Amino acid sequence: MEAASRQAASTIEPKLLARVAKGDQQAFGQLYDQSSSLLFTLAYRILSDRDEAAELLQEVYLEVWRKIAKYDVGRGSPIAWLVTLTRSRAIDRLRARASRGHHLVADSFDHPLVSHTPDVSQNPYEAREDTELRQMMAKAILELPLPQQQAIEMAFYQGLTHTEIAAKLNQPLGTVKTRIKLAMSKLRASLQHTLPPGETL
Amino acid sequence: MTHEELEEAVPLYAIGALERSERQAIEAHLLSGCAACHAALKDYQTVASLLPFGLTPATPPNTLKAKIMMAPPPIPGATEPEQAASKSSLEPGEWMNHLFPPIAPARSLPLRLAMGFAAVLIIAGGGYLAWLSYTQTTERSGEIQQLHAAVQQETARVAALQSELQQKDQTIGTLKSEMDQRVTEVTELRDQLLQREAELDDAHTLLTQRDTSQQRLARQNEEFAGLFKNPSSKVVSLAGSDMAKSAGAFILYDPATKKAWLYAYNLPALPSGKVYQLWAIDDKPMSAGIFGLDTGQKARMLIKNLAEFSRMKKFAVTVEPDGGRPEPTGAIYLIGQI
Repeated sequence: MEAASRQAASTIEPKLLARVAKGDQQAFGQLYDQSSSLLFTLAYRILSDRDEAAELLQEVYLEVWRKIAKYDVGRGSPIAWLVTLTRSRAIDRLRARASRGHHLVADSFDHPLVSHTPDVSQNPYEAREDTELRQMMAKAILELPLPQQQAIEMAFYQGLTHTEIAAKLNQPLGTVKTRIKLAMSKLRASLQHTLPPGETL
Repeated sequence: MTHEELEEAVPLYAIGALERSERQAIEAHLLSGCAACHAALKDYQTVASLLPFGLTPATPPNTLKAKIMMAPPPIPGATEPEQAASKSSLEPGEWMNHLFPPIAPARSLPLRLAMGFAAVLIIAGGGYLAWLSYTQTTERSGEIQQLHAAVQQETARVAALQSELQQKDQTIGTLKSEMDQRVTEVTELRDQLLQREAELDDAHTLLTQRDTSQQRLARQNEEFAGLFKNPSSKVVSLAGSDMAKSAGAFILYDPATKKAWLYAYNLPALPSGKVYQLWAIDDKPMSAGIFGLDTGQKARMLIKNLAEFSRMKKFAVTVEPDGGRPEPTGAIYLIGQI
């Protein structure tokens, strides 16, 4: 358990997913240990509710069980697949909640993309690779101008389209699009060396 | 959209910020096999999936793992039925499906590879065409549905207005019939009023007549009482004769006005065609008037001018034929002396 939880989310092996696809319970347990913290952090960030985030994670892992046979290593890294799946399901919930008349989320900067005093200490339950990635990501995000951070945050964690963001911020659509493009472009540059080799332009 | 526009939209696509129509355009472009956009998208998608690493880590509940591990393991190879259409957001991995077609397992067999490639191309092309026609059909049917909904809405509105109009008509009809009724009632009331007015006139006339007779009676009573009270009044008593032993009468005379009153009682009822006649007797009898009986065998008579009263010696009452006689012809019933 200890050893498993120390394995990085960012370094989940495609082979592990292949074992899970064959119905290997132990492999599934390991997949959970490596990914659950990150996926829970993401779900909690989007839904602002620990219980609902836990409920969502149950659904996501059930879907992983069922869909893992369709996963193809050539289509992306395991963690990218899991993050995309989790975000998508959390945004679905957020929209369902909004259509029931509940508030979406608190004001965007109540929950910034990163803590402005980032926790850069070594978490004993966090793998070294993840800690490094976290520090790097926090630095890259903090280097972005605030309006760009806000646009990224509203798109990724609130599931808003550029039109919705523009309306919410009362800004021209072009401005919002530019902010997102610039932010993404800068993040891509900052993370250049962590991106899969040979795939960059 | 031009290629440049599509390329510009790739980072927005990766972070999920595009509108549905723009998303579909990008996906169609990726299906067409643009290598530059594929590479850009893969980078941007990786950047997006790394964003959660920037968050302050949250620890899931300790019980969560047990709950998840209790879920039944899937049957290997079994897949879920596609539900993409029913999901509101982009299915995860959709971009991956477009980006990285599964690696063909038979690399060592060039013919099969070529056939496979051709098949992939055909499927991809077909898929693209199907996608295009699907998009157009979806748009068209969307428009038709919108129009249909609008027509239904308008129809409902017209129906609502019609029913409102009918209601108004009904109300007007009701009001009209009510008004007719009121008019009839008013006419009836006017007739009744006219009748009442006529009745009132009649009653007024009757009242006037009654007043007149009552006034006369009252005046007579007054005059009679006045004579009694007047100290200068003179009184003559008349007694009943053998014809009417219990009868009696008296005469009151006022010298000032020269009026006299006869008051008689217990006189026998008169046979028809007969009247009582009062005689004032000096040397010879002079008629002082004729009278009948009131109820209770009483009689009253006013003699307006009895100038020669002081000269008179006797008064007598006889029964005479109707209209009276110049000289007494019948029996004496009452007699008195001054």
